[in-house]
Amino acid sequence: MLRTCYFIGLLGLFAAIGCGEEVGGDPPVVDSGAIQGPSAPTPYALEVPDYFPAPVVDPDNPLTEEGIELGRHIFYDKEILSSDGSMSCASCHRQELAFTDGLNRSVGIRQLEGGRSAMSLVNLAFNPNGFNWDGSSTRLWEQAIHPVEDMLELDNDWEEVLRKLRTHDDYPARFRAAFGVDNRSEITRELTVKAIAQFERTIISADSKYDRVVYRNTDFFTEAEQLGADSLFFVENVPPGTLHPGCGHCHNAPGFGDNRFRNNGIEDVASLDDFVDKGLGGVTGSRFDNGKFRTPTLRNIALTAPYMHDGRFKTLEEVLDHYAGGGHDLENEDPNITGFPLTERQKAALLAFLGTLTDESLLTDERFSAPR
Amino acid sequence: MKYLPLFLLSLLLLGCQDDDDPVTTLPEADLTLDFRTDYAGRPLAIQRGTYAYPSGGQLKVLLFQFYVSDLEILPADGSAAIRLSDIDLIRWMSAGDDATTSRTYRVPEGDYRGIRFGLGVKPELNARDPSDFAADYVLNEAEFWGPTTRYVFAKIEANADLEGDGTFDSGLSYHLGSDALYTTVSFNQDFTVTAGADPGLTVVADVLRALSGGGETFDIRDPQKRNVHGGNQEVGRNIWERLSRQFRLEIGE
Repeated sequence: MLRTCYFIGLLGLFAAIGCGEEVGGDPPVVDSGAIQGPSAPTPYALEVPDYFPAPVVDPDNPLTEEGIELGRHIFYDKEILSSDGSMSCASCHRQELAFTDGLNRSVGIRQLEGGRSAMSLVNLAFNPNGFNWDGSSTRLWEQAIHPVEDMLELDNDWEEVLRKLRTHDDYPARFRAAFGVDNRSEITRELTVKAIAQFERTIISADSKYDRVVYRNTDFFTEAEQLGADSLFFVENVPPGTLHPGCGHCHNAPGFGDNRFRNNGIEDVASLDDFVDKGLGGVTGSRFDNGKFRTPTLRNIALTAPYMHDGRFKTLEEVLDHYAGGGHDLENEDPNITGFPLTERQKAALLAFLGTLTDESLLTDERFSAPR
Repeated sequence: MKYLPLFLLSLLLLGCQDDDDPVTTLPEADLTLDFRTDYAGRPLAIQRGTYAYPSGGQLKVLLFQFYVSDLEILPADGSAAIRLSDIDLIRWMSAGDDATTSRTYRVPEGDYRGIRFGLGVKPELNARDPSDFAADYVLNEAEFWGPTTRYVFAKIEANADLEGDGTFDSGLSYHLGSDALYTTVSFNQDFTVTAGADPGLTVVADVLRALSGGGETFDIRDPQKRNVHGGNQEVGRNIWERLSRQFRLEIGE
């Protein structure tokens, strides 16, 4: 009992000393980096139509409402991402163009052309095969790192981006809400690009006329659209000797792009070593992968001109003419690039069908627009 | 009578003890199953290798893949087959791919009398749509023709130099599959699985033997026979039949 009394007394003494120090000593140290506010992010489930596959899960970057909203703000924020405050992700990925920019090669803050065309950002949640034209980023959130640093794009320094984010009036609380960070110093490059990726994963395009006709049964193809679908796009019963297996061979529904890497025969070079842009080969280091690029989605294709990784074809007519003409007989060319007869009627029909892949609602969907 | 509650309590406790007794289970071990692709008996080098074709010309193979359904090993004692996987896609598509690709399964130790699998997508899965699965699952839209023709069970793609001018300018593309073509492949060869002593199973598929064998050669000089796609599987039926017959199992090699 006596021991207990001593112990309680000792605790009281410590408490008194502690209180005394706070009152009479040096001023308390205030952590200027501490962030206040909610820190419990809300899990978010993507809304996916039943005619789409389930999205690819990224266990390292689960979607949350707060993460998506943070990503949307950064995606559209010119002040944060570019070194001169003139460009953001949205500058090259414009919603009204299905998140492309209408240029053959993207132009950065120095008004210089980059190496490739800006890819559409729709339906990235369903891509299991790496990102960019050459698959150089295995995960979506990794993809957002390079454009910030590239002198032909946003030409910034990640330390500068982080400085802006950490000293911003609004972003620290958003990072805390999205990722539970306690201090501004915990705002990192990885969290920043993960937030951007979370927003990008929500951009789902699944409300085209094609969807309404084929999956929802609430619309009809015109005669030309139906002919385009049946005659060349989806060819299920290919007669013997038919050279063309159908565009759907690589651009099958509902994604309309298998995200694989192919040499589709657009480059007339003498050998595998002569590609200026090596594409996948630049990533793998294998000459046999030179000239291979991602098979992109054809959803919203009527809005995403010019075409191919370098925008060499200004119109879809030019694209169809290329495929009808066959490739350039290089040894790693996709064997399905064979050339085929294409009448003007078929071409018009195919173009009409491709027009049905435009998702008008995507272009004005406020969930994907710049925050107000 | 006064001991009845104690007796019942004893029964209860004994019962509890029984629940905790270890259930007799066979110990398990890792079983590695290799799949190797050859061309004319030599490991296939996608894109890198140049291969002579019996009817003339040379090939560079760009893609070889096939689905495997209901992969099972068969216990020697006649008990139920051990399922290793319901569906898998075995694929070689890059110059960087090794000719051998491996899968490892956890299986009961013991003696086995063989292995079997369905070549292709088994009918119950072939009836499902890609939208029933995740986008990164093996049954995805890139391997699917459409509502009528369903999944592509196997693909062989190559570029051929038919004129001997060093230009591989004739594309060959054989895409095969339908419920009617689904085939069970069986090997009746004994092996033993024990911890630390993998039996070394290798399923070997030879691309040339799928195109040419048994006195028949698919004549790639005929433009009519350079592409098989979609619903007209009759054109490729003999490729399929050779493909399904040519598999062999190597043990401990």
